[in-house]
Amino acid sequence: MPDVKLVNLTKTFDKGRIIAVNHINLHVLDKEYLTLLGPSGCGKTTVLRMIAGLIEPEEGEIYIGDRLVTGVPPEDRDIGYVFQNYALFPHMDVWGNVTYGPTVKAWEEEEGVKVGREMLEMVRLYDRADAFPQELSGGMMQRVALARALAAGARLLLLDEPLGALDAKIRMELRYEIRKLVKDLGLTAVHVTHDQAEAMAISDRIAVMRKGEILQVGTPEELYMKPRHIFVAHFIGESNFLEGHISAVNKKGSVVELRGGLTVHVSDITRVRGELVVLAVRPEVFTIEKGRRAGTNSMHGHIERFRFEGTNIRYEVRLENQDLVVIVRPALMGEWFSQDEEATVGFPPNKSFVFKYPSRGLREELALE
Amino acid sequence: MDERKIMANFTTFATLISLIVLVLLPTFFLISFTVTRWEDIHYEVFANPLIGDRNWQEIQRYLALSLRTAFFAVVLDLLFGVPLAYLLARKRFRGKALLEDIITLPLVIPTSGFGFATLLTWTTVSGLGGLVGQGIVEARYLIPFINVPFLILVVHVALTFPYIVRTLQARLEDLEPVFEQASRTLGASSLATFRKVVFPLSLPAIFSGGVLAFARSLGETGATMTVGSIYTTASVAIVRWVFEFKLAPASFLGCLLIVIASAVILPIEFFMQKRGISPLPEILSSFRIEGRILRGEKAVSGRTARIKDALSLGALLLVVIVPIIVVSNSVVLYWSRDPYTGRLEGGVLYQLFGPSNYFSTLSRATLVSVIVACISTYIATCMAIPLVYLIERHRFGRALRSVLRIPLIVPTSALGLSVLLLWGPGGLKLVNPGIWLIILTHIVFSVPVVVESTIATYEGLEIPLYEGAGRTLGASPYDVAESITLPMLKRGILAGVILSFTHSLGETGATFLVMGSDVTVPPLVVNMVESLAIPAALFASTYLIVLSLVLLFIFRVAVKKR
Repeated sequence: MPDVKLVNLTKTFDKGRIIAVNHINLHVLDKEYLTLLGPSGCGKTTVLRMIAGLIEPEEGEIYIGDRLVTGVPPEDRDIGYVFQNYALFPHMDVWGNVTYGPTVKAWEEEEGVKVGREMLEMVRLYDRADAFPQELSGGMMQRVALARALAAGARLLLLDEPLGALDAKIRMELRYEIRKLVKDLGLTAVHVTHDQAEAMAISDRIAVMRKGEILQVGTPEELYMKPRHIFVAHFIGESNFLEGHISAVNKKGSVVELRGGLTVHVSDITRVRGELVVLAVRPEVFTIEKGRRAGTNSMHGHIERFRFEGTNIRYEVRLENQDLVVIVRPALMGEWFSQDEEATVGFPPNKSFVFKYPSRGLREELALE
Repeated sequence: MDERKIMANFTTFATLISLIVLVLLPTFFLISFTVTRWEDIHYEVFANPLIGDRNWQEIQRYLALSLRTAFFAVVLDLLFGVPLAYLLARKRFRGKALLEDIITLPLVIPTSGFGFATLLTWTTVSGLGGLVGQGIVEARYLIPFINVPFLILVVHVALTFPYIVRTLQARLEDLEPVFEQASRTLGASSLATFRKVVFPLSLPAIFSGGVLAFARSLGETGATMTVGSIYTTASVAIVRWVFEFKLAPASFLGCLLIVIASAVILPIEFFMQKRGISPLPEILSSFRIEGRILRGEKAVSGRTARIKDALSLGALLLVVIVPIIVVSNSVVLYWSRDPYTGRLEGGVLYQLFGPSNYFSTLSRATLVSVIVACISTYIATCMAIPLVYLIERHRFGRALRSVLRIPLIVPTSALGLSVLLLWGPGGLKLVNPGIWLIILTHIVFSVPVVVESTIATYEGLEIPLYEGAGRTLGASPYDVAESITLPMLKRGILAGVILSFTHSLGETGATFLVMGSDVTVPPLVVNMVESLAIPAALFASTYLIVLSLVLLFIFRVAVKKR
């Protein structure tokens, strides 16, 4: 039923000076939970507001369930929108808020009462029906906002940073609750967030956006295991970036020469000899051993800094070629290292990603703003 | 340390005393005067051996006309003002700044000049009548059913709608659009959203704007005198009676006006302040017609958006801009001679510099006006700044602020009469009618104007936060006031000063009663119209309007948002 297709969608602000959304194409499948993920200012909320009809695109089309919705006002798009700061009407109590949709859509009164009650029971707030929004906690307000959006009968739920204003613990609880609700009711959901952990936990698929463009769409595993863009490798999870060039390519893999003549093997064979590249290796992929040892992709260095983070220990290792790598190891496994201790680090050739060196420089390419 | 405390107490004391003596006493004196002189008044108004209770009947008639006019002016203000406020608060478009200026204009425009412009526009061939070859309406045209003279209503709408637009616009700008968006995504049309979300949430602003507009209409004198023709409103009647030395009915009517204004306005103010936002009773759903209304709203939403904007803008142009164009155009036409008869005596030049020598009268009046405006604004500002501190810091602050609103809603001619009776020859005999009495009168309404404007800035700026920051960095309370609070309030104070200055420059009703022989410009215009020196009136009106446009420009620069 309600799938959402965005075709060449474009929106500019300030008379074209700021391109908020630049010709994006995206297909949100029916009953899918899709998250638009990106740093603030990347245009993800603009996309959501265009789907809702709160702003009109300059170019391109939006189809909701095969219906072209250009020019259709928000009230006729059959959507539910959950706002970042809840936007509960302060002059109505919880019941008035939740039954607002049925009321303004002029449903039969019994139907509205029934739906309102169901929705409030679903978010476990039926006993607070006569409370006013300002008397509720943040988590409760967001649950009411959710119930309100659902009570209007929408099959497509749009969530704009719905958990952004909540405390960390409540955020964790509520994100599973939202996903369960969406899945139980068989809704399609588009969720906007800048929190990658939230996106990973909640989504069927994630679209990573930067500066008005979608860089990659995929399941959380795909984005983590096979980032196709250097920014995705940086934004989803964490990566060490090592600069170098390809010094040899054969059928099994390539050899990358890093700064200071250090060479490592990778299984990527898509690059050509002599090409400038950036090697991305996740901190948790690295092995770390004491002393100087030999082995595949072994690199020597010393512990420059370490932090105990609870579940993990985080080492910063200064390699002999002066590159710095961050390594994360589970705190309860293996030996611990101390400051300035010599160490040998390495990574399996098939667990690294090789990207072309970005034309405008690595730092600019990874910048969040 | 102790010395500082004494100074602080002394300042508080001096501020409060001057507030009571200069502002509150004149406001309420008329009521006590009416009570203490009740026997005289009763004799004159109800039981005069010659005319019986004719005065009482006239009072009733004038009051009825004033109240009808004020009521329908507010209704029209709402009709045109609400869409304009919404437009200004929510949309961005080219010419928005200009539109805001046009809306501020009636607040600074001298009313008698503007009234004359309106008169020209509607009743003569120099105005809109030029299009059809005769005046659009006669000056005495009475609108049927509501029994309000057309011209009076038009001029009152023009002068009062900014109160609604500006208060509502400010409220809507504070109100995040997210509520409207939420309502739309939940399936409500734009009209239903307005009725069920925007309207209830901005009701306090609509009420307080309406209250101000109502009070302003009730007290309007200058423009009403010029367009009134045979009709007399209560404020105008006070001026007329004082000139006929009928002090008893004048003071009784003034007292009634003060009581009525307070009785209508204060409860609403109080109620709205206490109530804030809370649910409105759902009247419509109990009649089970909600569904039909919603469908109707849906059908016309969208289609009506442009029509209502266009209508409001059109009305605005017609009542504010067209008169100004007409009057300036007429000055050009009448410059050297009467364009219709060709007589030199009918030209602006002849009247200004000929035997009647209106030019020197006008120059003298300008000087008086400017001196009055400068001195009264200066004194008012000196009182207003400590008052703002008292209002914000002291536990009686809220009450003080409510009391300070009263001079704003008291009809100005009643105020003028009150001042005259208190300080003048009939009362304490301290000041004779003339420039000093005008200044004393203008201080009464200038203080609240500056205070309101400064408080608005104060409350928008989280000043205590910055003051706290200043104190933690080692500044003493005095340093904080000098280096943080006052600079931050600068724009608000400046805006208040300019508003008060223009208010003083354009004030007619009260000035008429207290000016003696020191005529200011606005009463001069009225006199010119009444003595049928039309070309001179044209010139003086245009001159006043140009003056206020310059002040408006300065106001604009002063309050410009960074």
